[in-house]
Formats: sequence, C-alpha cells, structure tokens
Amino acid sequence: MWHNVWAVIRREYLQRVRSKWFIMVTLLAPIIMIAMIVIPTFIAARSDRSDRDLLIVDGSGVLYERLASDFEASGYTVAEEPWTVDVVTDLRQQASDGEIGGFLVLDDLTLETGEAVLYVNERPSLIRRMTLRSAIASAALEYQLEQQGLDAGAMLAGGELRVEMLVDEGSDTDDPQFFVAYMGTMFLYMVILIYAVSVMRATLEEKTSRIVEVIVSSMKPWHLMLGKILGVGAVSLTQIAVWLSMGALAVGAGIPMLIAARPELANLDTVVAVLPGLWLLILFVGLFLFGFFMYSGLYAAVGAMCSTDEEAQQAQFPVMMFLIIPILFVLQAIQEPLTPLVTWLSLFPLFSPVLMWARVAGGGVPGWQIGLSFVLMGATVIGVAWLAGRIYKVGILMAGKKPSLPELWRWVREA
Amino acid sequence: MSDDGFAVKLEGVTKRFGKHTAVLDFDFEVPRGTICGLLGPNGSGKTTIIRMIMGILHPDEGRVSLFGSDPDVTRRTKVGYLPEERGLYKKMKVLELLTFLAEIRGVSRSEGRKRAGVWLERLGLTEWSDKRAEDLSKGMQQKVQFIGTVLHDPELLILDEPFSGLDPINQDVLEEIVRDYHAKGTTILFSTHLMHQAEKLCERVCMISNSKKVLDAELKELKAAERKGVVAVEFEGPDTWIRGPEVDHVEEVNGALHLILRDGADHQAILARGVQSEARILRFDLVEPTLHEIFVRHAGADAVGDAGMPVLAGASGT
Repeated sequence: MWHNVWAVIRREYLQRVRSKWFIMVTLLAPIIMIAMIVIPTFIAARSDRSDRDLLIVDGSGVLYERLASDFEASGYTVAEEPWTVDVVTDLRQQASDGEIGGFLVLDDLTLETGEAVLYVNERPSLIRRMTLRSAIASAALEYQLEQQGLDAGAMLAGGELRVEMLVDEGSDTDDPQFFVAYMGTMFLYMVILIYAVSVMRATLEEKTSRIVEVIVSSMKPWHLMLGKILGVGAVSLTQIAVWLSMGALAVGAGIPMLIAARPELANLDTVVAVLPGLWLLILFVGLFLFGFFMYSGLYAAVGAMCSTDEEAQQAQFPVMMFLIIPILFVLQAIQEPLTPLVTWLSLFPLFSPVLMWARVAGGGVPGWQIGLSFVLMGATVIGVAWLAGRIYKVGILMAGKKPSLPELWRWVREA
Repeated sequence: MSDDGFAVKLEGVTKRFGKHTAVLDFDFEVPRGTICGLLGPNGSGKTTIIRMIMGILHPDEGRVSLFGSDPDVTRRTKVGYLPEERGLYKKMKVLELLTFLAEIRGVSRSEGRKRAGVWLERLGLTEWSDKRAEDLSKGMQQKVQFIGTVLHDPELLILDEPFSGLDPINQDVLEEIVRDYHAKGTTILFSTHLMHQAEKLCERVCMISNSKKVLDAELKELKAAERKGVVAVEFEGPDTWIRGPEVDHVEEVNGALHLILRDGADHQAILARGVQSEARILRFDLVEPTLHEIFVRHAGADAVGDAGMPVLAGASGT
C-alpha cells in the first residue's frame, strides 16, 4: 500500500511548495536577513567616509607613530600637523572656514591620563569616539609600559591563558561561538515548531472538512499520518536547503564581491568569520529532522483528537512546553556545556534538538553524548509514531468533544 | 472470494453511543448487483450503519461483512463511498484533487486524470477543472465529490444521502448515472430520507425507524403485498356504502377518499354495495401505496412529522 503513502507525500509537498506564501517566505527571508547585516554596515561605512581624514597634532612627540597605524586600520587617513604655539588657534580657524573637518590634539597629559581633545564641527558618533578613545588610551599605556621594560603588546592583547586538559574529555569543536549557538537554537526551535504545527493544522483541516472519511476508506490512517509527516518534512527540508544555499552563495560569492566593490564594507568579513562549518550544518539538519519527527507525530495526534482550531490551540500547549522548557536553559548550555544538569537535560530526547545544539555550538560536547542523544531521539521517534498513530487512528474519525486523558489512554489501548 | 452473493451483510448488529442506541439488533443484506435503498428519517441510524459497513465505526455486537469478510482496507478500496458530510481539499484544483483520489485507490495518475476529465465533461464541469475546489458552488462541489467516488470503477457504490443538496435537474442526472452503473452490474446501496427518490430507483428497500429495521423487501413484492390494502373512490350521492366491516378507516387524499381496508378484506364487496346504492361512482381504484404510506403504516404515525416528511428526534447518526 506504499503507493498511497507516496500519493499523500506528493500531494502534501506539491500543494505547499507551490503556494505563494511558501515561495515568498523561502526567498524573502534570507534576503531580509542578508539585508539586515549588509545595510547597517553599508550605512555605517558611508557615514564614516566624510570624516575619514584625521589631522593629528602631537604635542607629546611619541604618540603619533603608535596611533597612525591603529587609526589607518580602522579606516582613517591620518596626517600630522607639527606642533607650534598657535597651531590650535590656526586649525580652529581653518575648521570653522570649512577647510578641514576637525583635528585631534595630543599632549603630555595624554601620556599620563589618556586624555585628548578632538575638535570637530559635527558631533562624532559614539562608536567613533570609542574607537579613538581606546586607541589613544592603549597607545599611551603601551608607551608607559615600554618605559618600564615590559612586553606591552602581549599584556594589552589580554594576556593568555593556556588550557591543559588533565582528562581526555571535551571539545571536538573550537572556540565557543555564541552567535551561532544562540541564533541556531532559536532557529531550530522556530522551524520545528512551525512545521510540526503545520502537520497539526493539515490534520485538523482534513478532519473538519470530512475528506478524511473518504481517504481513510481506502488507506490505513497510519499511512495517511506517515505521508503527511513525510510530505511536510520534505517541504521543510526544501526550505532549509534553499536558505542554506542562499546563505552559502552570499558568504562564498556575494560578500567578497561586495567587499571588492566597496572596500568600506570590510567589516562584513567579521560576520563571515563566525559562521558555522560544514559539520555543524550537518548536525543542525540532523537535529532538526529528529526534532521534527518527534514533534510532528505529537502534533498530528493533537490535531486528530480536536475538532476546532480553538480546541487545538489549547491542546497543543502541553506538547509545546517540551519545546519551550529547554529554551530556558539555552544560555547556561552555551556557557557551561558540561555541567551535569545541562548534560542530562540535553540527553532527554524531547529537549535534545535545542539543548544539544546549544552545547555543541557553544563549546564542547563529547562525541559519545551526541551519538547517544541521536539514539535516544531515534527511539523516541518510534515510540511517538506508535503512540500518535494509535491516537490518530481513533481521533481522526471521531466527532464531538476532545477526549479526556483516560479516554485518550483507552484509544491507545484499543486502537 | 467467498462472498456468498452478498456485497454487504449485517448480522445482529448493535451500536450504542453512550446511552443512546443508534442501531439495534440489525440484520441486513445487499445482494450483489441490486440497487438497495436504506430509508428512514433523519437520525434513525442510516449513517451509523453505513459507517459500520465502511469500517469507520465498529459494532458493539454482531458482525458486519463486506464482500463476505471484514471490512478491511483491501475490501473497502473496492467500494465507492460518498459520505453524508461532504469534504474536499478546498485549496486544491479540481482535476488534481480527483487524480489524487483515484491514485490512493490504486488508479495510476495518468489513468485517473483521463477518467476525471471524462467525468468532468459528462457533468458539465470541464471549464472548472483548473479552479480550486473552494471556488465551486455547493452543488458543483457535490458533483466533484461524486466523481471522486466512482473514478476507480468500484464494485459497490455506497452513497449516503446522495440527492440532498442537488437541484431537481442534477438529481435526475445522478439518478441516470446510478442506473448506468446498475446496468453494468455494480451493486448500489444508498440512504435517503426522500421516499419518492427511493421509489423511483430501488429494487430493494430497507426501512429503519428508531434504530430498528421495520421493513426489508423487494420493492415490487412489497408494493404488490400492500396494494390490496387501499381503495381510492370518487362518487356523487350518499356515502353510506363505503362503510362496512371491510373498511378500517377513511382518509381524504387530494379530493379523493382513500378507504383503508382491514387485513384480508375484499374490496369487491364494497364495490357491490356501491353499485346497488343510490351513489354514482366516478372512480374505484386499487391504489398502489407510496413508499411513504408504507413506511408510515409500518413505523407508526409517531415517526412522521407535520410536513409529511418523517422526522425523528434523537441524536444524529455520528
């Protein structure tokens, strides 16, 4: 009877993929995401451009050399104006005449306290002030430390803490990548929820429109449920694949091209640096699939036992809790992926998609734990399919009010 | 297949919903190749019976068999089932929807598409084949659903209230299609509360009232058996002659008087009395009773509502 399942998958897939809504979301979402990263960088780069020439008056005599390279790395073109008694007065005049945008004055006080004066016509942005301020302060500090005979560069880079593992346990991945861990968790949570709810809605629609009576007259309810879940699953994979390849295209070709065309967008490179690697992407898709199969089964059962949207909204709540609870532990999982609480929680199959991702992307999880969680999720998928299949079989043809828990249990036993 | 000549057979079937008994100790057979009507007022249990035949509900007691065995998926797939509550995938285009319905019953996609096209043409829906189901009128949707029922050339058609919601012209179209299938040897079981519809179409009727079977017979035999019971008369002059030991009571129907005879009474005696009386007899006619009258006679007047349409209180047959 597999041609039935195939027919259901095919129908479900084509109906959804061809809908305007799907095409719009699939294509627009990544474009919006990319725009959200590119446009602010672009705007920031543009607004900086008019202020990129910086004239420096160095009264201390030692700071200009140190600062010049720093400032140039931040995108400034620097020039030195020799120190004279009247230099500030002259430059002020030039600035108010509009000949120059502004200038920076450093003196001996700067060497002692890091204090400097920036003369400008337009108030500089906070970021610009911060950049200048910290560059000046560290140049001054560096100078002072060198006077003491210390390795100022290493000190100022934040020192170094070398970690020597005493036990052979821990990270397969490198540094914690908070951005990837956190965004990935939210994304997993969202796609699992959205697509599992799709299965519930589709089930409910078939039930309330009564077409299910006709369909189930020629196929087993279990096959119908399986076809629906696989069909919706295929839709979700299509969407994720489109998103990932658009992302890869943007990162692989788009950003370098953009940077080549507009050197002021060089900051985008830092975005690329935090993106996940291939192994993380595979893990992501794996966690999504297992999560989707667990939750879509549960949601199908919820859809089958309800008769109205309102009822389903309420009845889905307990299932949704299992998706929400792990979200509460995400930060902890990213920061301290190896504490017992987080470890045990992440091995609980219904929490695994969200928490295992947070732990893996956030830092280090022993490989065997990842393997174990997939085994446990696999077993749960089978268990859920069995349980949900039975509820579905009875519920899908049942009219009237939602069953109570004991009634539900009777369905499971008798089906 | 050991189906002992019956497409459908129910033996001592009882179905309860909570405290409500929907069907009680029901025996029923549909011989292969017949058109059989399941008649009864709303809520009498027709839909429950049909749903048990389709394996949607399971009897609490008794046994339901389809083609001589349990109504499993394989046997149900040989049935074209039109449920009482009509549903389609609203967002789907008509032709695709029909192809899908054929496909899940084992008809290949290309064949299903071809057959659907032929049917859409026959029912005047060709121009709608690329429209979404939700854009069709109720009546058109019902026709589409009917097409979905027959695309896989079922051996047995089970139609739950197929005529309700159709205008008279389309009722005739459907009737003609049912006759065609009958001529091809397809077994047909349909339920209706419209007695005149059943009267035109059925070879066999089964009447239900209050969850129980009140009648189950060949329509011809039934009518023949009931025929002697009623005489319609029209006359001028005194009416004393129509009263006598043979007559149970008199009803006025459309300007004529219907004499309802007692069991075994001979109408000949009444006629003889009339001829000898002063009355001038204009009409003396052995009336073939309508199914409605037969139903009322067997189910009792309680089962009949004011409009002459049998109506019954009670839960619907879900």
